Amino acid sequence: MKAPAQDAGERGLVEAAQKDPTRFAELYENNFARVYAYVSRRVNNREEAQDLTAEVFHQALANLGRFEWRGVPFAAWLVRIAANAIADRWKLVAREHGNPISGELSSKEISPEEIHHHARLFRLVDTLPAEQRRVIEMRFAQEKSISEIAKEIGRTEGAVKQLQFRGLESLRSQLHVSSRKSTARKSAGRMGRLNA
Amino acid sequence: MPKQNRSEQLDLLVDALIARPKTAPGKREPKASPKLQALARIAAELLDLPRQDFKDRLKSDLGRRTSMASKPVMKAETRQTATAYLTVRDAAAAIEFYKKAFGATEVMRLVGPGTKIGHAEIRIGNSKIYLSDEFPDFGSVAPQRPGGSPVKMDIVVDDVDALTARAIAAGAKEVRAIQDQFYGMRTGQVADPFGYVWNVSTVLEELTGEEMQKRYDDLVKQGAFTQPQQKPDEKRAPRAVRPIPEGFHTLTPYLAVNGAARLIDFLKEGFGAVEKFRVNRPGSELVMHAEMRMGDSVLELADASDEFGARLLGNILHVHDVDAVYKRALEAGATSRFAPIEQSYGDLEAAVKDPAGNYWNITEIRKTDHRTDDTRTILPYLNLAGAAEFVEFTKRAFGAKEVSMFQAPDGKVIHARLRIGDSILALGEAHGESALILGALHMYVPNVEDVYAAAVREGIKVLRPLRDEPYGDRAAVLQDAFGNWWFPSTHIKDVQF
Repeated sequence: MKAPAQDAGERGLVEAAQKDPTRFAELYENNFARVYAYVSRRVNNREEAQDLTAEVFHQALANLGRFEWRGVPFAAWLVRIAANAIADRWKLVAREHGNPISGELSSKEISPEEIHHHARLFRLVDTLPAEQRRVIEMRFAQEKSISEIAKEIGRTEGAVKQLQFRGLESLRSQLHVSSRKSTARKSAGRMGRLNA
Repeated sequence: MPKQNRSEQLDLLVDALIARPKTAPGKREPKASPKLQALARIAAELLDLPRQDFKDRLKSDLGRRTSMASKPVMKAETRQTATAYLTVRDAAAAIEFYKKAFGATEVMRLVGPGTKIGHAEIRIGNSKIYLSDEFPDFGSVAPQRPGGSPVKMDIVVDDVDALTARAIAAGAKEVRAIQDQFYGMRTGQVADPFGYVWNVSTVLEELTGEEMQKRYDDLVKQGAFTQPQQKPDEKRAPRAVRPIPEGFHTLTPYLAVNGAARLIDFLKEGFGAVEKFRVNRPGSELVMHAEMRMGDSVLELADASDEFGARLLGNILHVHDVDAVYKRALEAGATSRFAPIEQSYGDLEAAVKDPAGNYWNITEIRKTDHRTDDTRTILPYLNLAGAAEFVEFTKRAFGAKEVSMFQAPDGKVIHARLRIGDSILALGEAHGESALILGALHMYVPNVEDVYAAAVREGIKVLRPLRDEPYGDRAAVLQDAFGNWWFPSTHIKDVQF
């Protein structure tokens, strides 16, 4: 749950951005991880996740004046924009390919806790020591191989693997046990293959 | 289990995760301890980790939109009723010109078909003006024909002399010299390059219609409007001086070095510079002031003095053949900092120090988006302590605009480019290998009084107050809080040496 003070701070930011759109940058920084976390869980590839995330923030910026503060977090509004954008995209895909909307994709529900957990993980990456962070970024976001990373940062492959290990270890230690439970299902799904 | 093994094992799991979509079904995956499995679960979630460059790019896209949106867009209740609509050839260029000449701001533009501008709105002072490219099929034709447009534009400002000088500096032509007029205004007339004539005025006295008519009648009686106003023996007014001397742009690096004469030789041999001007200190071999032309840019230099001690500057030198220039520079006495390499951003780059110790990055632009209309041969760069604050300062003090900005997650500026007037300035945060590189920038502006006043308002330190210099400039010497020297100047009269 959010503290009332946080709400007040967020409300202030939204109102400031409604008056002066250049203040939107702060809302963007505060909400990027959450929107991306939601979108990336609902679509299958990075390009689509990036397209949709960009669409959400552009729409939010264009319609900021219409957002009314009724105690619903700004992030929830963004997630609703994202959900609509994803639904629109599927409709478009379905029309273009002459297929009915894929029930599996469109009905996929993501709980607020799962979004929160994911966004938190993304933000934790930002707090890692510089080298660990760089390796994690390159390995997962840029999908580079250990040898590519080693070449780029001028370390041995063994050292890069160690940095990856330590980075994941410190992410694990910082993540709340309780918040991990909620996403265990999806992760277990992916891990299921590993232990098949 | 030794740590090395665990990190190896974990990486096998990560590899399998990353390769998962491509893994053939039924392929055996490595088994792992519960702890490694826990880490691999986090790794699985990290497959969705957003890319930092995507996040930064989206932020800057949004920033561009908000900076446009935040420009004063007229609300319905204050929307003006009648608005001039100019048709021009090359509306994009016209918008740039009106920005430079009249301080216009762009409110919006609709692009298309192609690169044509279907409709654009600019604001000058409190007025909006619409413009578009030519669309002859729809009856929109620009005034490029004998006589030009029969419609004139009219601007009233606080300082007609300053705005006219600015417009002429931006490429407008004087049509009628500025004069105090019977109707209580001081007015001049300039023609823009797109075929429109602009009356520019400052109100001297507020007159009623009756008072104006009376004065007008007197002039008519004197035959002011039936005879040529200029008597044949009357000398024409001297041609107005250019407030920004020929060949100069807004920013020109000024090198203060030990051994200026040697450096001049190097610049000629190493970089093919052409010496345009040199004057020595009286009774001395030391250079008091020299100007070198390099491509489309000017470089100024002098021997260090008590007032301006030697200061090492940094410049990016844009060339077409980095290997050849690098080789030639070394032969002429430069020392190599690094040989030509292809940088991660796609450009070929080498770096040298000239014999006086100044830093030169010799750059061959490969990626076209690194080249803009205002990419000049010499691009000064600074490595500063507090680069982000410097950017904000230059916006307030000198009206700088951000062209590009790459920041580290902690907000430190990795590389930024600013536009000041018609020049670009590059900068980054000083750290480690990129030591502090301060600037010494000669800044030619059409309105030095305003620029000086704005900089002083922002708390800049005045090393030498604004004054008329014997070489024909009105100039000042300023030092900002980051240590850079600024020499704002307006050329006010041509002086023969």
